[in-house]
Amino acid sequence: MRARHPDVEGHVERDGVRLGFEVFGEGDRTILLLPTWTIVHSRFWKMQVPYLARHFRVVTYDGPGNGRSDRVTDPARYTADAYALDAGAVLQACGVKSAIVVGLSLGAAYGVRLATLRPELVSALVMIGPSIPLTPASPEREQTLQRFLQPPPEKPKGWHKYNLAYWHSNYPDFVEYFFSQCFSERHSTKAIEDAVGWGAETGPEILEAEALKSSPADPWPEIVGQLDCPTLVIHGTADRISPYARGVEAARLSGGTLLRMEASGHIPNVRDPVKVNLALRDFIERVA
Amino acid sequence: MRAIVPDVAATLVRDGVEIYYEVYENEGPTIVLIPPSPITHSRIFKGQIPFLARHFRVVTLDGRGNGGSGRPVGRERHTRTENVADILAVIDATGTHEAVLAAHCHANWWAVDIASGHPELVAGLVAIDPGVPYLGTPQPHWIESSETWDVVLDDPKGWQLFNRNVIVGDLRRWVSFFFDAQLVEAHSTKQFEDAVEWALGTTGEILADSEEAQELDPPSREEFYDQVHSLDVPVLVIHGDRDVCQRFDKGVDLAAATGGDILVIEDGGHLSLAREPVKVNLAIKQFVDINWGAEMRTETWTRGLGRPKNALYLSSPIGLGHVRRDLAIVEELRKLVPDLQVDWLAQDPVTRALESAGETIHPASEWLASESGHIVSEASGHDLHCFQALRRMDEILVANFMIFQEVVEEGNYDLIVGDEAWEVDHFWHENPELKRGSHVWMTDFVGFIPMPGGGGHEAFLTADYNAEMIEHIARFPRIRDRAIFVGNPDDIYPETFGPDLPKIRDWTEEHFDFSGYIPGFNPPTDDERAAIRHDLGFDQDEKVCIVTVGGSGVGQDLLEKVIASYPMAKEAVPELRMIAVAGPRIDPDTLPTHSGLEVHGYVDRLYRHLSVCDLAVVQGGLTTTMELTAAGRPFLYFPLRNHFEQNFHVRHRLGQYGAGTYMDYSATGPGALADAITGHLGNPVDYRPVETDGAARAARMIAELI
Repeated sequence: MRARHPDVEGHVERDGVRLGFEVFGEGDRTILLLPTWTIVHSRFWKMQVPYLARHFRVVTYDGPGNGRSDRVTDPARYTADAYALDAGAVLQACGVKSAIVVGLSLGAAYGVRLATLRPELVSALVMIGPSIPLTPASPEREQTLQRFLQPPPEKPKGWHKYNLAYWHSNYPDFVEYFFSQCFSERHSTKAIEDAVGWGAETGPEILEAEALKSSPADPWPEIVGQLDCPTLVIHGTADRISPYARGVEAARLSGGTLLRMEASGHIPNVRDPVKVNLALRDFIERVA
Repeated sequence: MRAIVPDVAATLVRDGVEIYYEVYENEGPTIVLIPPSPITHSRIFKGQIPFLARHFRVVTLDGRGNGGSGRPVGRERHTRTENVADILAVIDATGTHEAVLAAHCHANWWAVDIASGHPELVAGLVAIDPGVPYLGTPQPHWIESSETWDVVLDDPKGWQLFNRNVIVGDLRRWVSFFFDAQLVEAHSTKQFEDAVEWALGTTGEILADSEEAQELDPPSREEFYDQVHSLDVPVLVIHGDRDVCQRFDKGVDLAAATGGDILVIEDGGHLSLAREPVKVNLAIKQFVDINWGAEMRTETWTRGLGRPKNALYLSSPIGLGHVRRDLAIVEELRKLVPDLQVDWLAQDPVTRALESAGETIHPASEWLASESGHIVSEASGHDLHCFQALRRMDEILVANFMIFQEVVEEGNYDLIVGDEAWEVDHFWHENPELKRGSHVWMTDFVGFIPMPGGGGHEAFLTADYNAEMIEHIARFPRIRDRAIFVGNPDDIYPETFGPDLPKIRDWTEEHFDFSGYIPGFNPPTDDERAAIRHDLGFDQDEKVCIVTVGGSGVGQDLLEKVIASYPMAKEAVPELRMIAVAGPRIDPDTLPTHSGLEVHGYVDRLYRHLSVCDLAVVQGGLTTTMELTAAGRPFLYFPLRNHFEQNFHVRHRLGQYGAGTYMDYSATGPGALADAITGHLGNPVDYRPVETDGAARAARMIAELI
């Protein structure tokens, strides 16, 4: 059973793509919890919604490709700019003029893009484990990423599974591996099961479309440096997906506060939900 | 001793009146603390200033009529207008461009004037137990007593004392009644004494004038409503719901009218800032932080299972004794919990011993206000009224508690060990929601005992302090996860905590575990003793007498008295060699000299000297006397006059071991002292053995918590 059911469930259609959103609670301040990589959908915020909704209005939605949203295969729908437009459409549909925007991993990039393209919509921005290329990825990931479109090894191990052909041949194994890396903390069985389940609601053709998207024209450090709202960065030092150094850099470039989560992995909002919840509320009370 | 001294203490002259003000410099936002003079002055904020000054720039002043300010007479000199102009003059003189105002009682009326008349200066208002006109309802006793304000009453009683003739004729009577009525909280003796003392800094004439002045230039009801409703600054009201001066509904209405927040101190009276300093401090800081965006910073949080086991150890700096036993306990604790990290929150002179031992001293230690400095300032000659000294240490204890609390909140400590860390134990019981980690309370005595010279009042005070402690433990047993008595049940002083209170021994046996005594070292065997003597350069045929007064700096008089006896003793026993140790806080050069007499400053591992001497002359402190007992040395001990712990607790315990010779400082002249020295020098002793496993026992009790 869900701990908190939405007060409003709806869909918004933008340029022919339907996106499912949910609204919880009320209050004069609204928090928008953004989607992230479409391998999961908005349920990855399940540890935050019940708490935050007692204090604020909370809006979540599924990005294209998962959850209650259309399974689009057009790469143009997966750019950070497209996500920013989606988020703007959701906020408009909910009658929200401005929100505190929270993004995890790739979602942090979507939030940055929303805050730079539509600054009037974003009163403050929280980036959790930002997967924004402000510093290089780990050497192993860097190397395997370059082989993404090449044929995989016969029995790929580790990050070699991050490979388009392998996704199509053994998607479940890739998903399992990926989340084992996201949750580097011991005793993460339930977190991994949940995420694998959400991953099963989409498929390799969707991830392929997402992977083939184009990047923004401006370099990311420049974009992050343009942010003009209060920011909070939360980043785990044991993050195997996006190195901790990226969080430090995101905080520095945006002039924000950094919450360093020692020994936490890539998705602390699932694995260390209490600390993240309290940090979100504390930040919002201070700045918004 | 004050916990902090101002960077600027100055006066300005306005309207021919000197106005005293203080500035505590800091790069943070400015907060101006406004007392409701003339019934009190800036010292009413003594529980706030040391804490606030670590985070903000603090400006405060004594209002006209009290403290360091002038004493103008005549009610037209005490109007709202004049007081407001004084405050503005201080804001101007201190170069303050924008500030949060925090005011108590009727000073809020002035603060509201300033916030509405000079919004550019005011970034926020903290209204503590506010007294403002028209809002809420007045206390009925103010209305009734105002009717007889000018009347000469035959036998005024109760609130009738609010009367011009009474106040002018007997100010103490009125303010004693008034503050007794305000301090509705039990165990408020110290706050009461302070408030009365500060109130007596004005005169009855001035206080009566200031009461009448309120009628001279009040705003109309409409004007005042307009003022508060149009205030354009954040407001925090802090109000006790049992306030007998300014009814609680005034605070509620002020918060509503200004759109401000309110912190209700439930069950609290009119002096919340003095009676609940911790909560009030935290609320003020939170208010300023929220409204001025605390400086962006990096916070580190470590996952529970990613954390090393760690402990914060507090070792009382009063005397050098605690740290020796605490080091011994930590050594044992590390055997049981090898991966334990220990940080020490400590101050001089404890830090010297910790540094020699290679221990980790928490950097916040440097902010601590000096407890041993306070004790020195309280001592006079061979006299230290340590109960009153502890009471008068109240602002230092609050100041240091606030530092401690920040340290534990940031350090995620699993364990807090406080060896007579009074501030931790007391304020966690007073603010139980602030407790972090497991807490071990450790002490070597239980119960404040009145000195006979203090009479009935001192007996009342000690009983009240004991009763508060008993109530604390009964109400919040979860604050002390373990209470360790450093000693055995027989060591407990055989008395009660006071009239209608339990026997100290019964209560302590019920609420403490007993570690036995904890010497800081193992007493040497005969062979070791010979080796140490050789090491220290003591000849076999020398009779070595060590004179030491501990580390606190109290003891110059005893040193001088012993030194004066030296020539006579030396003449009687030529093989006498006397070594006087002044300790880290007494300059050896200030002591008289005799040929053959050796005088040293701080001596590391002094216990080695003591363990092999032929006689020691010491004060009545527990650590040193018990070290001598454990080592089986003859010694003369002189308890400090008025020091209840040395005169009752320690003396009783030494009696249990049959150890030492009690000496009365006043009754012993140099001649008698020389006789005592020669009479005991090198005498064999027959003490009950002191247990040597105390540190290990204490460590086992502590280790169970981690």
